[in-house]
Amino acid sequence: MSDKIEGVKKLFTSKSARVETNKGDAYYEQLFKKCHERIESLKTNQPINNRLDIGDVLETHGIERRDFLKWASAVTGMLMLPSSFTPLVADAALLMNRAPVIWLELSDCAGNSEALLRSDGPKIDEIVLDVISLEFHETLQATAGHQAEKQLEDAMEHFKDKYLLFVEGAIPMANNGSFGTIGASGETMHDHLVRVSKHAAAIVAVGSCATFGGVPAASPNPTGAVGVMDVIKGKPLINIPACPANPANMVGVIIHYILTGQVPELDSLLRPKFAFGYRIHDNCERRAHFDAGEFVEEWGDEGAKNNFCLYKVGCKGPMTFNNCSIIRYNEGVNWPVGVGRGCIGCSEPDFWDKYAYERPMADANIKAPTGGVEKTVDEFGLGLLTAAGIGIGIHAAASMAAGKKEEVGE
Amino acid sequence: MKAGYKQVKRMTTYMRLNHWVVAFSMIGAIVTGLYIGHPYYQSFIADPAVGKYVMAWNRWVHFMIAIIFDVSSIVIAYMYFFSRFEKPYKKIIPNAQNIKEFVEVIINLVTLNRRKNFDSTHADSFNTVFFLVFHLMLAWMLLTGLQLYVHGLASGLSSIGNWWPWMLHVATDWTIPVSNMLIGSASPTACIMDVRISHHITMWWIIAWIMFHVYYQVWRTIFWKEGDIGIVVSGSKFVKED
Ligand code: HEM
Ligand code: SF4
Repeated sequence: MSDKIEGVKKLFTSKSARVETNKGDAYYEQLFKKCHERIESLKTNQPINNRLDIGDVLETHGIERRDFLKWASAVTGMLMLPSSFTPLVADAALLMNRAPVIWLELSDCAGNSEALLRSDGPKIDEIVLDVISLEFHETLQATAGHQAEKQLEDAMEHFKDKYLLFVEGAIPMANNGSFGTIGASGETMHDHLVRVSKHAAAIVAVGSCATFGGVPAASPNPTGAVGVMDVIKGKPLINIPACPANPANMVGVIIHYILTGQVPELDSLLRPKFAFGYRIHDNCERRAHFDAGEFVEEWGDEGAKNNFCLYKVGCKGPMTFNNCSIIRYNEGVNWPVGVGRGCIGCSEPDFWDKYAYERPMADANIKAPTGGVEKTVDEFGLGLLTAAGIGIGIHAAASMAAGKKEEVGE
Repeated sequence: MKAGYKQVKRMTTYMRLNHWVVAFSMIGAIVTGLYIGHPYYQSFIADPAVGKYVMAWNRWVHFMIAIIFDVSSIVIAYMYFFSRFEKPYKKIIPNAQNIKEFVEVIINLVTLNRRKNFDSTHADSFNTVFFLVFHLMLAWMLLTGLQLYVHGLASGLSSIGNWWPWMLHVATDWTIPVSNMLIGSASPTACIMDVRISHHITMWWIIAWIMFHVYYQVWRTIFWKEGDIGIVVSGSKFVKED
């Protein structure tokens, strides 16, 4: 209860979800100068561990500089910066290996690491992520056990207060966190996270589990899973939800950080507004069918063949904030609605219980306000009306039988 | 007029107009809202796209009704305190007299009018509180509805200026955590779906409210024999002269 009240307070004081796409020339000129200086000074730094040169890597993958610049201008647009920033963004991408990153994996399916690697035909987003200076990533690195712990200690010591901490996965809190332990010493995920976040410059929670608890936190949440923001307070924290988080948004956040030295503007759920300021529905390619009332009624019907709107088979685009309807996944290859499968709201809190069902909310078995009973809101409503009807009926019958009408004086 | 009865004015023209505007708007909001929630009829698939705009029209009507509700609610809220006719807030204050009247009206209802120990010339405390519940639910529909609506203006722009989405955010963002509480969600983090669920559930409470309201007014008319139902038509009812 008290944290809900806290939440209310926060909503009143925090900046709302409003996105300002144009902040005026004066603002951008000053920002450009600042970013330019920062990039120049970063150029004089040596790359940290990862000595892969992104230019070479791109070349090995057969990506031309022209394509790279096209990509940079797309990222500039995504970050809502004027096109004059494109060369700076390209430079920032080339300097990716100046930002030390520690990556923790907690209670999850490793889907975000998977998205980040995508070794089969990587696109520029993934390649850029390849050359970040990943100092520690338990799932990917060769070391294990005590050796891995040593490496983590070293990285934390070496880049104290400088490293970006990426967290993937929820934190199990039930039974003192004993549902998930890490490493040879059996440290709980909770303690692990608290320890590593202590000297992070900023924390980036990637994926729905790390941001809001995600699938591990779905009802009845046996492990008491929560997101990073419920555990770590008083640190710059960026949430990049979605299942998995879009590598384009991870790159966007890192580039923004390299470029400006700051976290991007966030909404009340700590999501970068450049990516989560818009609803899927408002940029969806099937939106015209929504407005026309043309819906897929069941999988594979005539409507499905005609790419009708997926609302009636459960698309939650109208209640979901994310940019996948704009940038899609895998550098514009496709996205869920594009393949004919409605949005399941994977970037929203509690999505597994409240969004991920193949029918409109009104028809779904979500928790009724009465508590544990699973009912649709309409069933609940009809129950309510039936109860009201029965009450009225009894009263009416009783009134007929025994009611006292006023005497009409005549 | 029957002998021995006097006519008392209970509703001004504006109040009656407002009553029917709200009544018909409510039916419209329910019909279109249910369509938005679950499109229950289909547009003809063979029609060309320009010939159908079914969801968009439903949403348009829903939002137009919302604006009518907005205006009417602001006026109602004003009237609670400043009406020159009857100031409803006087009947809501829980003082001894109002509580007694409130209880007496309920007793009258459950004893099937065998006991009637209150003055039915004026708006009674029970009915006023009952209407307050309605107005609170209507206000909640407005606030949650506008919260659902404002996210379509994501860029912070609107055809009537930037102040509009800005104001809507300031005025309605708090409905997100409050909806989360109201629907009894187990999740620590509230989301826009909570607002939508609450918007939908509150509709059912409003329909239940309407059922009782209509029943009760008819019941009063039949059993009190004071022509209460006429209040919303002609503005007056009739009570026995002392
Ligand atoms: C007071 C009577 C009202 C009733 C009975 C009502 C009912 C409904 C219902 C049943 C839904 C569908 C929810 C769902 O299942 O997904 C809905 C949606 C909605 N309502 Fe209302 N509503 C009312 C007032 C308002 C008001 C005052 C607004 C203010 C703008 C509003 C704005 C909306 C919006 C924006 C949606 C979602 C539409 C969409 O996302 O396309 N409603 N309403
Ligand atoms: S498919 Fe989903 S996101 Fe696209 S228009 Fe339909 S409801 Fe909206």
